[in-house]
Amino acid sequence: MKDIQKAVPRVDARGKAEGTTAYLADLRMEGMLHGKFFRSTRARARIVSIRKPELPAGYYIIDKDDVPGENVVAMIENDWPAFVDREVNYLGEIISLVVGPDREEIVRIHDSIEVEYEELEPAFSLEEASALKGGPIHGKDNLFADYFISKGTPDEAFRKAARIIEDTCDTGLQEHIYIEPQGMLGWWEDDRVVLKGSLQCPYYVKHAAQEVLGCDDEGIRVIQSTTGGAFGGKEDYPEVIGAAIAVAVNRIKKPVRIVFDRTEDISFTCKRHPSRIRFRTAVDEKGGILGMDIDIHLSGGAYETYSDVVLQRTMFTATGVYDIPSSRVRGRAWATNMVPSGAFRGFGAPQALFGIETHMNHIARELKVDPLEYKSRYFLQKGAATVTNGRIYEDVLLPEMTRQIREMSNYKRKYDEYSKSFGRGIGVAFALHGCGFTGDGEQRLIKAVVRLVKREDEKIEILVSNVEMGQGLLTTYRKIVSKVLGVPLEMIIYENPDTARVPDSGPTAASRSIMVVGYLLQEAAKELKQRWDDESSFEVEKHFKMPPHTSWNQDTLQGDAYPSYGWGVVAVEVEVDPVTFEVETKGIWAVHDVGVPIDERVMEGQVTGGVIQALGYGSLEKLELKDGRFYQNTMTDYMIPTSLDFPKVEGSFVENPYPYGPFGAKGGGELVFDSAAPAFSAAVEQAIGKPISRIPVIPEDIMEVLS
Amino acid sequence: MVGNRRTYPARGDRRVHITYRPETLREALSLMKESGKEKRVKPFAGGTDLMVRHRGWHGTTSGFPSDILFLDRIDELKCCGFYDKEYHIGAACTLAEVEQDDRAPSILKEAITLMAAPALRNRGTLAGNICNASPAGDTLPPLFILDARITLIRQGGSRTIPIEDFITGPGETVLGDDELLAEIRIPITEYTHLCYRKVGTRKANALSKLSFAALAGIEGGEIRDIRIALGAVAPRIVRDREIEASLQGKAFDEIDLRGTLEAYGKLICPIDDQRSTAAYRKQVALNLIENFITRDIREDIQSKE
Amino acid sequence: MKVRFSLNGKEISVDVDSLRRLLDVIREDLGLTAIKEGCGEGECGACSVLIDGKIVNSCLVPIAQVGGAQVLTPEGLKGTPRGKCIVDGFTEAGSVQCGFCTPGMLMAAEAILTKNPNPTEAEIREGLSGNLCRCTGYDMIVRGIEIAAEKGEGLW
Repeated sequence: MKDIQKAVPRVDARGKAEGTTAYLADLRMEGMLHGKFFRSTRARARIVSIRKPELPAGYYIIDKDDVPGENVVAMIENDWPAFVDREVNYLGEIISLVVGPDREEIVRIHDSIEVEYEELEPAFSLEEASALKGGPIHGKDNLFADYFISKGTPDEAFRKAARIIEDTCDTGLQEHIYIEPQGMLGWWEDDRVVLKGSLQCPYYVKHAAQEVLGCDDEGIRVIQSTTGGAFGGKEDYPEVIGAAIAVAVNRIKKPVRIVFDRTEDISFTCKRHPSRIRFRTAVDEKGGILGMDIDIHLSGGAYETYSDVVLQRTMFTATGVYDIPSSRVRGRAWATNMVPSGAFRGFGAPQALFGIETHMNHIARELKVDPLEYKSRYFLQKGAATVTNGRIYEDVLLPEMTRQIREMSNYKRKYDEYSKSFGRGIGVAFALHGCGFTGDGEQRLIKAVVRLVKREDEKIEILVSNVEMGQGLLTTYRKIVSKVLGVPLEMIIYENPDTARVPDSGPTAASRSIMVVGYLLQEAAKELKQRWDDESSFEVEKHFKMPPHTSWNQDTLQGDAYPSYGWGVVAVEVEVDPVTFEVETKGIWAVHDVGVPIDERVMEGQVTGGVIQALGYGSLEKLELKDGRFYQNTMTDYMIPTSLDFPKVEGSFVENPYPYGPFGAKGGGELVFDSAAPAFSAAVEQAIGKPISRIPVIPEDIMEVLS
Repeated sequence: MVGNRRTYPARGDRRVHITYRPETLREALSLMKESGKEKRVKPFAGGTDLMVRHRGWHGTTSGFPSDILFLDRIDELKCCGFYDKEYHIGAACTLAEVEQDDRAPSILKEAITLMAAPALRNRGTLAGNICNASPAGDTLPPLFILDARITLIRQGGSRTIPIEDFITGPGETVLGDDELLAEIRIPITEYTHLCYRKVGTRKANALSKLSFAALAGIEGGEIRDIRIALGAVAPRIVRDREIEASLQGKAFDEIDLRGTLEAYGKLICPIDDQRSTAAYRKQVALNLIENFITRDIREDIQSKE
Repeated sequence: MKVRFSLNGKEISVDVDSLRRLLDVIREDLGLTAIKEGCGEGECGACSVLIDGKIVNSCLVPIAQVGGAQVLTPEGLKGTPRGKCIVDGFTEAGSVQCGFCTPGMLMAAEAILTKNPNPTEAEIREGLSGNLCRCTGYDMIVRGIEIAAEKGEGLW
């Protein structure tokens, strides 16, 4: 084991465990006002009139008329209004923000606002969206994005096919349930708006606030507050809250805080994109795969957020860890009258991987072969062409990982035994996860900058915009810098980022924080070390450069979609109750390749947490839309795993250093989410002897499949 | 500022809640009598349901519609134990207290353990679960098969009625406006087979999709006694004494299983909701009944023969 | 309404709406912010405190019912030998990620170990079943409590 891997106590553990670390809701300011959103109660409508009550002194209703700049939440497309202008496109869309000192009074004001709507016909499902029910919501065709990629000679593959095997796989909505609900505090200081909030991407929030305020770079400052979990859910929605508070503070010039109740959070924040993916595979007489045709549909909700890039990741992950000689992949992201879908750990990859893993199982089933054995025939190898005709540049350790997972889970004995009767099953699923932004996004869009400062007192400060949100960055960044410099961890300073102090090193997203930003920090630390004795205090700045081996064409979507990949395999063993169709998970095993873990225990925590969150996605977390409203909108009804739902995760890592990652590290935070759901459903399939192609796999569906 | 409050349509003025926390039953009953038909005062035991139902925006208390009578300090309602061959549970006893009492019926303890996490069991009460009268109340099927009775008390009188007569529909009971549920009485029941199944949305701390409680007394291969109750599959807990009677005195090969399931099938009329589907609830309810009769009892008897 | 109770061993009195949640009294009126609001419906356990030695969700407790009781929050527990032992166990095991559930987990751990100083894994998991964590998948929290039980022999 490399020295860097050895676990150290997390620097934030004690303060958090004792409760002395302050989160957003723990912060108070003199004269602070509270804010509560007033939201539409229709999924699709035109607003005819709004009757506002007469307000007591000191209370405000902030809406579109208060926006000094553009009335948009700036993300990729500026299609999401900060406050409803006239058209409402989802139930819960923000019409106004009620602000004041007393919360009982705010509730009374909120409850006495009256809106007259002219109702329009909403489109909720993919079918309704593609049929343009009620007229298009977005553009002329309801498509946020529509892409096509091809590899090899798919037409020929299907012409030559002895048979074609088909599947349609569906994945559901998922809510993040970070335990800390969304929240943000804004105030007026030095003639500008300052925002402090629970968020992943300080510069994204800054950009959004700048747009609504119409101000220059200096007109807004964003600070991250200690963030109680995010999982992608605080990548996009904080821009929505930030834009609104910025407008309110700009008008009132007093501190305003918004903290969501859980029901508001579940009901109205972005969710994981539901998907439907159709697979058609051309197979020759011997059962060999000639080619695949994959048609991806994502449900994007009312506004675009990151649907375009989520879709790209789904497409570029569509053939999973397999070297498929020929393929066609079409992807479409649809607009619907639902809360916008957004970022969630995995960012489109889990949908693709559930699909391809399930489909490969079904092919093996049709051919009467052990799925693990069948899948192993098609593993990508170093030098192989990817689905975008890029290359795999690294060693692929899947054969070794497969050997380990077989041994750990006792796969062969169980698979053979469970094939004979009803009730028990074991499933294995593989994953790869492209590290960093898709394509040349890091170079074209992000252009990360990091700074390291040597101070007079010989302490070193890390200046980056990436945030600790539970994944351990406060510890791992310090470790990287301290190891390079050979100084104790305590000598490294790294505080929650403040855009007034830190450069834009990009968002805390896309499994890029360690591999991309951590590498820049390592490079900066090396330079700082070299120049250590030159001056008593100085600063080193590093800018992102694409690794020389990669090339990408964004117009054709061809080339290296990612510079490197994390790899994973998870096995799950289950028992299905023949009376109630409930599923009990008996064992979970996981092997991952994240290059070199920067801290073994931090990475272990990512694995156990990611796998259990994914098992929630695969087995429990049903979220249905009913008349535009989420049916399960409380923590009582939206089920995340408790400590009793799953047994221990037995995990291990294989080492596979990546030359452009710090100490050889690649990304791992999302990879660990990718395999467990398809492994679970595969295990249930074996237990019940019937194919499954939809998650979450709930007892109600198992009953239906069996009858 | 205060004067401005009436310039817009408010949903009632901010009310100051009056709460009572008496130490004697006498005081409590007198408050209930005063409260009377206006239902001014709501009895409050553990509050695990009321506090959720009436919660307002965080930091506000505006959600509560009535004044509150806390029962947690009344010693007369906190007794748990055996007298007159019945196990008595006072209305203010917490679920945890019942669960930790060795003398409490095991099936009830099992239902309590599976019902909610420790923190909720430390607050919630059996009396509250009964008065909620939710068809999904987890303790109700065990109480139904144990022939539990409920003692209601008002100033100047009391009555004790079977739990089946107490709950009349979802959220509806025969509790009078001036009455309090004082205690639950559970007679000693002898049985050879016992089964409790909670089918929840997950393994812990979850509301039920459905729940099942059953017991049987088997003597010489014959059914001496059999009782079956199901929760969350109809507006009320399903327990049918006629069907049970039709099974009594029969040997196993004499049982008309199909007819029995058909008879239960007529009583089981579940709904689709955010936790499950009607089809699932019905199928699993019937599966559980069949499983109890054929596997839990018959196979067990056969294995002993 | 005036309510007197003991908070972390100190007698105090508050004058608030009698139905105000204990959670709001502790966090907002008294400024002790270790416990958190994660759901407001008794599901997540982030607001766990001990009342007379028993773990409860403070979001479900109206202040009027706290009169005369002993309330313990992480602020009161963290400095005691038991509190330190659990925090050490959590630190060693990697039980803390985002940390928002952790003060509640600290209180749950105290309740588990008070009930049984040498709990099995299954007993720990049962004791944590009302405290939701979305980061760790629970394994490392269970381990943290096991470590506390090993190292804290005689404390409970």
